[in-house]
Amino acid sequence: MKGIRKIYPDGTIALRGVDFSVNRGEIHGLLGENGAGKTTLMNILYGLIPPTSGEIYLRGEKVEIKSPKEAMENGIGMVHQHFMLIPTFSALDNIILGKEPLSGPLTVDRKSARKEIEMLMEETGLKVDLDTAVENLPVGIQQRIEILKMLYKKAEILILDEPTAVLTPIEVKELFSFLRKMRDNGKTIIFITHKLKEVKAIADRVTVLRRGEVVGVRDVKDVEIPELARMMVGRDIKMKIEKKPPSLGEEVLIVRDLWVRDDRGREAVRGLSFSVRSGEIFGIAGVEGNGQSELVEAICGLRKVDRGSIILCGVDVTGMNPMKLYSLGLGHIPEDRHKWGIILDFSVEENAIVGVHRSRKFLNSIGLMNGREIFKWTDKIVKDFNVETMSLKTPARSLSGGNQQKLIVGRELSKSPRVIVASQPTRGLDVAATEYIRDLLLRMRDEGRAILLVSADLDEVMGLSDRMAVMYEGRFTGIVDPERVSEEQVGMMMGGISIGGIS
Amino acid sequence: MMDLGILSIFTEPSFYLGALRLMVPITLAAIGEIITERSGVVNIGLEGIIMLGALSSVYVGYFTGNLYLALSAGILAGIAVGILHAVISIYLAGDQVVVGVGLNLFAYGIGVITLYLTWGTFANSPIIPKGAQIPKLYGFSPFVPFTIAVGIAAWYIIERTSVGLRLKAVGENPRAADSAGINVFRVRFLATVTGSVLASLGGVFLGLDWLASYTRDISAGRGFIALAMVVFSRWNPIIAVLSGFLFGFLFAVSLSIPSGIVPDQVIWSIPYVATVIVAAGFVAKARAPAALGKPYKRE
Amino acid sequence: MKYWKQIADSFLSLIAGFFVGGIIIWLAGFDPILFYQGLLIGAFGNLYYLMTTLSYAAPLMLTGLSFAIAARASLFNVGAEGQSYLGALAAVSIGAFLAMPNLAHQLLIIIVAFILGGLLGGLAGWLKVSRGVNEVVSTIMLNYLSLYLSNYLFTYQFYDPMRAYKTKDIEATAVLPFVMPGTDLSFSLFLALLVSFLVYVLLWKTPFGYEIRAVGLNPTAASYGGINVRRSMIMSMFISGGVAALAGAFEVMGRFHCMDTELTYIKGYGFDGIAVALIGRNHPIAIIPASILFAMLKTGVQAVQRYTSVGGRTGVPLELGLAVQGVIIVFVALPSIIDMIRRRMR
Repeated sequence: MKGIRKIYPDGTIALRGVDFSVNRGEIHGLLGENGAGKTTLMNILYGLIPPTSGEIYLRGEKVEIKSPKEAMENGIGMVHQHFMLIPTFSALDNIILGKEPLSGPLTVDRKSARKEIEMLMEETGLKVDLDTAVENLPVGIQQRIEILKMLYKKAEILILDEPTAVLTPIEVKELFSFLRKMRDNGKTIIFITHKLKEVKAIADRVTVLRRGEVVGVRDVKDVEIPELARMMVGRDIKMKIEKKPPSLGEEVLIVRDLWVRDDRGREAVRGLSFSVRSGEIFGIAGVEGNGQSELVEAICGLRKVDRGSIILCGVDVTGMNPMKLYSLGLGHIPEDRHKWGIILDFSVEENAIVGVHRSRKFLNSIGLMNGREIFKWTDKIVKDFNVETMSLKTPARSLSGGNQQKLIVGRELSKSPRVIVASQPTRGLDVAATEYIRDLLLRMRDEGRAILLVSADLDEVMGLSDRMAVMYEGRFTGIVDPERVSEEQVGMMMGGISIGGIS
Repeated sequence: MMDLGILSIFTEPSFYLGALRLMVPITLAAIGEIITERSGVVNIGLEGIIMLGALSSVYVGYFTGNLYLALSAGILAGIAVGILHAVISIYLAGDQVVVGVGLNLFAYGIGVITLYLTWGTFANSPIIPKGAQIPKLYGFSPFVPFTIAVGIAAWYIIERTSVGLRLKAVGENPRAADSAGINVFRVRFLATVTGSVLASLGGVFLGLDWLASYTRDISAGRGFIALAMVVFSRWNPIIAVLSGFLFGFLFAVSLSIPSGIVPDQVIWSIPYVATVIVAAGFVAKARAPAALGKPYKRE
Repeated sequence: MKYWKQIADSFLSLIAGFFVGGIIIWLAGFDPILFYQGLLIGAFGNLYYLMTTLSYAAPLMLTGLSFAIAARASLFNVGAEGQSYLGALAAVSIGAFLAMPNLAHQLLIIIVAFILGGLLGGLAGWLKVSRGVNEVVSTIMLNYLSLYLSNYLFTYQFYDPMRAYKTKDIEATAVLPFVMPGTDLSFSLFLALLVSFLVYVLLWKTPFGYEIRAVGLNPTAASYGGINVRRSMIMSMFISGGVAALAGAFEVMGRFHCMDTELTYIKGYGFDGIAVALIGRNHPIAIIPASILFAMLKTGVQAVQRYTSVGGRTGVPLELGLAVQGVIIVFVALPSIIDMIRRRMR
């Protein structure tokens, strides 16, 4: 792949001229952290996304891949992070979908398909139950089905996106031995990951991406983990954020042995324990998908807790409804503002009271909503937080992303929370708005509030936090002082190596 | 001979013939909707499509006296409405329920206007000429075996052919189907149009056989009963045929039982009560296609 | 401001509707200008017509409000028909068969009617929230059930032995007085206006109504704000059903003082209410003029036939007028429908 560029309509640059090449019969690792562009690059190769510019050459010839169908015709197969299986179908049906063998005009010939797949299972050693509905099979088996799918469709180039995210250690070993076998049979494998140990264990060569650019390509036997970590995470310019030293108070948010399940029923948060004091910013870094969202949702009353407890300002709030949490001193800046944080068709005023709309201060003597108090409240938010809007009655939809976020932040902060949970607070915002929000968070910290900051933007977390944890597979691989930790160490923690560190 | 009283209707062959014919419209509509819903699209407008199918076939039948032309008119109406629904709901990702409700209102209105403008009445159109009516043999209509055949064919296509496999895939996980190289939009489009044509044929039957005319309330809630039947049949066309017989039987009972011990109104309510019970899954709860009702967007 | 645009849209569609309606009249061989003149005169021409028009506005306003309330929670209550029948049931049963002092009598009817309609609507809401039953299907089925139930009770329990197909008259203590004797306009209009106002206050000035609107616009954000989405949905259907029931009750108490056993007196208000709500963009204050517009068309077409009988020719028949009414309604309701479709397209 030469000079691949991908620019999204909203201006985000996902890939800045990436050159990527893979040799036949090798296992090639594609390494990078959040937003590096690894999945985007492979989605382009697989025809799911069109590149803005750039070319793809396959076996020396230029090709255009405009859809997964064309990718498959070219012998490219992909197993995504979120499986593309039909839950109610059997493994057999899932494998043949899209390329069904026919006996007669339309009838599916399941018999011959079964024979062929059984032969494939023999050759590769990947055994699965072909007749049970896929949703009833364990995740490791589901992944095997995905791989069989690729091989059935005669893929020569196999792309796997973070395949070990859902596997147990034993299953990982089995997967790796299978991959080696495939490689020895002449197949080419591209392995997307952020886990450093895996790259060392399985890959022949590795390409490291950072922020849409290739940082370097190495032969795995010639490079060690620390160097990979540095490449993955390295910053040329360290972001300088001026910070006063924290003046710490008591622990206002305590999480004890927390276990939370994700939507698929797997444990996304595994026995996490930590605390946040007033006056500090506790950051959680880490590649997305390691349980951060589930953690935030659990703390903010939006997801059930499996085991463990959450204590807010001395009160056990495990399982409480969000409105109760807000009244007890919680503020939540949610991850996806359009989904959680703002009601686009409500006015600025109506959005400003979400979560506190039942509070007595907004009601007059007969129990009706007091327009004047709501106006005062909203006006203060708009002024204090620089929300640019034509009036307080305009629908929130007309505000820019930055102003919407400022409104949300202003709303949460106006509840005088003692604890603020900020999840991806500057995602999708322009430079000015981003700076503003970061300043705000620091100001809140200086005022003595406790802030839990979760962000996929490593610069942000490292720059703002007083203490920083890195989350990996539901646990912390380390809690460190961002000013003293090395890039290498951070990369290693994000890649799965525990450091421990301060608590 | 014993005096069976009320129960004597059960010994009349005409009762059973009537029940059989009653099952046709709701079953055809239900089978069509099963196909549509398995692809992930919900068509609340079945009621309106039934009306339009009846209207168009009665209109053409009245003026041409020709059965085949009338049938074609009904099929064309089904195709046209199906395309309309499909374009708005699938390609433009509009709200499928609103489109369906709008279709119902529209069809009702067009029916009334046409009734007036063509025949100058607000109630029933005149009976269409014999040549346009669907022939019956002693009260037994060919549409009955036709419906059963459609049900069996639909089942076979869904379970045994590649077309059906892809249909189901699109309705359960369109993203996965897309990544397997299937054109999600096209599958849903074809499923919607097919379902619409079948529902329209149900209306054609009402117009060319059951009433042999058109009237404002010709559908009487059948479209909605069909929607509930889809759930009851667990999205299985063969069970839909069987439940069609059941509902046809209930309808026949409500129509023919003489006033006696049980008040008429109770009998008339039976099909509708049954629908609610069935729709709520109190009898047989099945899982809907996972992507039902959600427009698909390519990221 | 966006309101002006919406009003402009509705106005333009109104003009378009009138235009297309005029074409239909012309195609049928009549004079469109005469038709519309007749329409307007029939609606407002003299005091009697005006009173009649306003009398129809009351039930339309209520069924319109009913649909709008549920629509604010993103729910389709198509059951206003059935809910209005229950309201009539309450009015007849309590009004004709219970002896009570004035004011208390009407009040009791109103409360019972509201609760009955509310339960019917709430049932549909519960079925949706807990069993996933599409509320369009359930409310339509419940319409039939309500019709048969009311029909049965009116025919066998509440009938008037002296008059065929009618229930007994309600007591004088249960009546809503006429505004002007000799007309059909009763106090129900003022009560309907009051209800419109109350609904407005409920939806925009109470936390309860705020929650309903939030749930209708973004249920995820609503739950983030601590709102109980399921409860809001059921409650909105309850109130929606209750308001629709008032339409039926007021017609009995105000205009007819009885009900015919087949309920033809109030048939159709429920469905017309949907159109009224769409014209009024699901906003209680806009529904007031929308219901008057609809009522105007309704009375207007009844008088048009006479008015257009010119020079020996019979005038535009009722059915054609009704057809044109339908066309105009469709046009004015279209922007609202397009809006609702578009909501999901974003």
